[in-house]
Amino acid sequence: MIARLFVSLAYFLDAFTAYKNTKQFIYNLLENPKSKIKPYFDGLIIFLVFITVFILIYSIAHELPDYVEIIEDIAVSIFIFEWLGRFWISADLRHEIIRYHEKKLEEKKHSNFIEILMIILVQKLKFIFSPMSIIDLLAILPAYRPLRILRIFLIFRLLKIFRYTKSLNSFFKILNDKKFEFNFLFLVAIFFIFMSSTTMYVFEGIGNNPNINSYVDTVYWAIITMATVGYGDITPVTLNGKIVTLFLVVGGFFILVLATSVVTNALSEKMEIVRENKLLSQANKLSNLIVIFGFGRMGQTLAQALRKERKRFVIIDKNEQSISRAKELGYLFVKADAGEYEVIEKIVFKNDVAKVVITTENDALNLSILLTIKAENNKIEVIVRANSDENIKKFKIAKADFVIFPYETVAEMAVEYIGSAVKFDAIDNILLHKSSITLDEIDIHDTTEMVGKTLAQIGLEKLSIQTIAVLKEGGIKNFIFNPDPDTYKIELNDSLVVIGEEKNILQIKKNIARQLT
Amino acid sequence: MKKVLIFGYTKTGREIAKLLPKNEYDLYIIDENPMRVAQANQDGFFAQHSVFSDDKLLVDMGIGADVSVLFCASNDESLNLFVTLSARSLDKELKILTLIQNQKDEKRMILAGANRTISPYGVGAIKAFRIIDKPKVSSILNLFARQSNKLSIQEIEIPKGSILDGLYFKDVSIFKEFDTMFLGILDREMGDEFIFFTKGINHKIDCGDVVVVLGSKENIKKLKEKIGAS
Repeated sequence: MIARLFVSLAYFLDAFTAYKNTKQFIYNLLENPKSKIKPYFDGLIIFLVFITVFILIYSIAHELPDYVEIIEDIAVSIFIFEWLGRFWISADLRHEIIRYHEKKLEEKKHSNFIEILMIILVQKLKFIFSPMSIIDLLAILPAYRPLRILRIFLIFRLLKIFRYTKSLNSFFKILNDKKFEFNFLFLVAIFFIFMSSTTMYVFEGIGNNPNINSYVDTVYWAIITMATVGYGDITPVTLNGKIVTLFLVVGGFFILVLATSVVTNALSEKMEIVRENKLLSQANKLSNLIVIFGFGRMGQTLAQALRKERKRFVIIDKNEQSISRAKELGYLFVKADAGEYEVIEKIVFKNDVAKVVITTENDALNLSILLTIKAENNKIEVIVRANSDENIKKFKIAKADFVIFPYETVAEMAVEYIGSAVKFDAIDNILLHKSSITLDEIDIHDTTEMVGKTLAQIGLEKLSIQTIAVLKEGGIKNFIFNPDPDTYKIELNDSLVVIGEEKNILQIKKNIARQLT
Repeated sequence: MKKVLIFGYTKTGREIAKLLPKNEYDLYIIDENPMRVAQANQDGFFAQHSVFSDDKLLVDMGIGADVSVLFCASNDESLNLFVTLSARSLDKELKILTLIQNQKDEKRMILAGANRTISPYGVGAIKAFRIIDKPKVSSILNLFARQSNKLSIQEIEIPKGSILDGLYFKDVSIFKEFDTMFLGILDREMGDEFIFFTKGINHKIDCGDVVVVLGSKENIKKLKEKIGAS
């Protein structure tokens, strides 16, 4: 009975748009790295953290006015709201419940209340006990008045800022990779401290050293000495104690040196990866990304053209030289072997990629990249370079959207050159952007003012722009070649493929954009 | 028959050899790599192995005599440069088309005497760029490609006594009549540069001028007949 209530509630919420919209809004506010409002909210949280910590520091030696209390209250309520929001969006329970219910239906069994409760508990507890959630909770805790003693927990609010520093996370990750070395050094250090503090206690803890009153004192002495800090508040007085100190100093020195070298080593080894991750997360924020595999001659020319048009793209190549070129030119790049699935997954599938261009000189690699992408996501448009004519067919079978065989294209142009030199000049100028004449497309949508007018009326003729073809609904299936500028009337969703002076076409596009507003 | 010499049976050289109509061109191939010479012979072309040390071979192949077009299609930049320069010194009128790997080498090749340079990577990259940037333009351009055979771009030389001879461009409606689009003209009176329609100058058409038109193959054929240039 209660189970059925839960299930119907899940279905109800799933169909309830306002609920979903609110949840989406909260997600955009708190988690979505691509949303525009998140940075503002992040800024607010960081500001609140600093202001409350500052109040804490100030209050130690000063009397606080009453209104400061209010600031604290506001800050805490925002922190509570933030945590609750994260709690809410941490999992889509309704999906889980519906999936569970449908599975039960298939098995012809009834949904069980306990099991539903388990699903909810598992999902939500997972969130509550995640490190970030614990930090958030600790930041809220000091606001509870009976626990005012826990005011020192306010410092935990500073930890909240960790959420916003990705580099810190990767730093810890690097250290984590050297776990073995650190564990070893830690054990050695513990051993040294234990040994020397115990010996010291045995020799000087019997009352001959006025500064050593307990075992804790000798542990403190051992650590301070080993760390080469050496305050000098506890010093050995017996010969035995001095010999122990000598061993401890030498041992501590080596441990310190080793620890330093391990950290430096790990950092220099992993710096490349950190930088790459940084670039990747930059790519993550972009939408409609173009991915270029291979930064050889073709890739470089393509990147140049894309940069000119302000398109956003990321380059993948494993060749050190190519990558350093990309770095010099300031492109977004990843140094990786595209033959590995993980690389493609990380860069293509995990980002908002619209198009992929594969330009390496290795057809086998090109084919493997193409197949990997097409097998996973058919919607990504892939343009692939073929390096041998026998392979064009294979790329087509593998569902490449476009295959470019540069040698043939060049050969076609070359043959054109002997046959019809004048025509070659014309085509060469247009196609290779060598003159101001250019081909372009003009889309007509949402501009009802243009609909029904002839091509001459919208000013194409006056600017010496010719329309090669009109594509109906923007598709190639239905098009009109060479429409008459005086009689053809523009319809909604037409796309005009035009030829003319670059600046004139820009002018027309501007006119259309102006009519839109 | 025009005599064409291809230097370098590379991927590009091979494609050019395959595309040239056999009945219109007399094709000769030279390469400094014996493997590629063998490949060319296997593909059914006349090919010769050679090492370039002096101009003798070029003279033997007919440069300065009956060769009218030279393609320098080697992947070796310096060889291309050398052959281009040698051939130019032998024949001032020869048409030389040279392959470049990088757009920045174009100036050097032109200086050495090439009429035109062409780069497979540049062409390939621009093709890919157009697919990304202007998909509709590239889909229309595909219709002009050799394989689809639907639309074509052609040049028409105005013969003596043609109906267009001596007319002013503004008075001509013949292109519209055949559903073709006038792209530009090579007006002998204005020099050797191709002039696009966008310049908007009212040209006088004379015999010997070359016009470039777009249209379906059929319509262009009819247009040619009407002009008298078939």
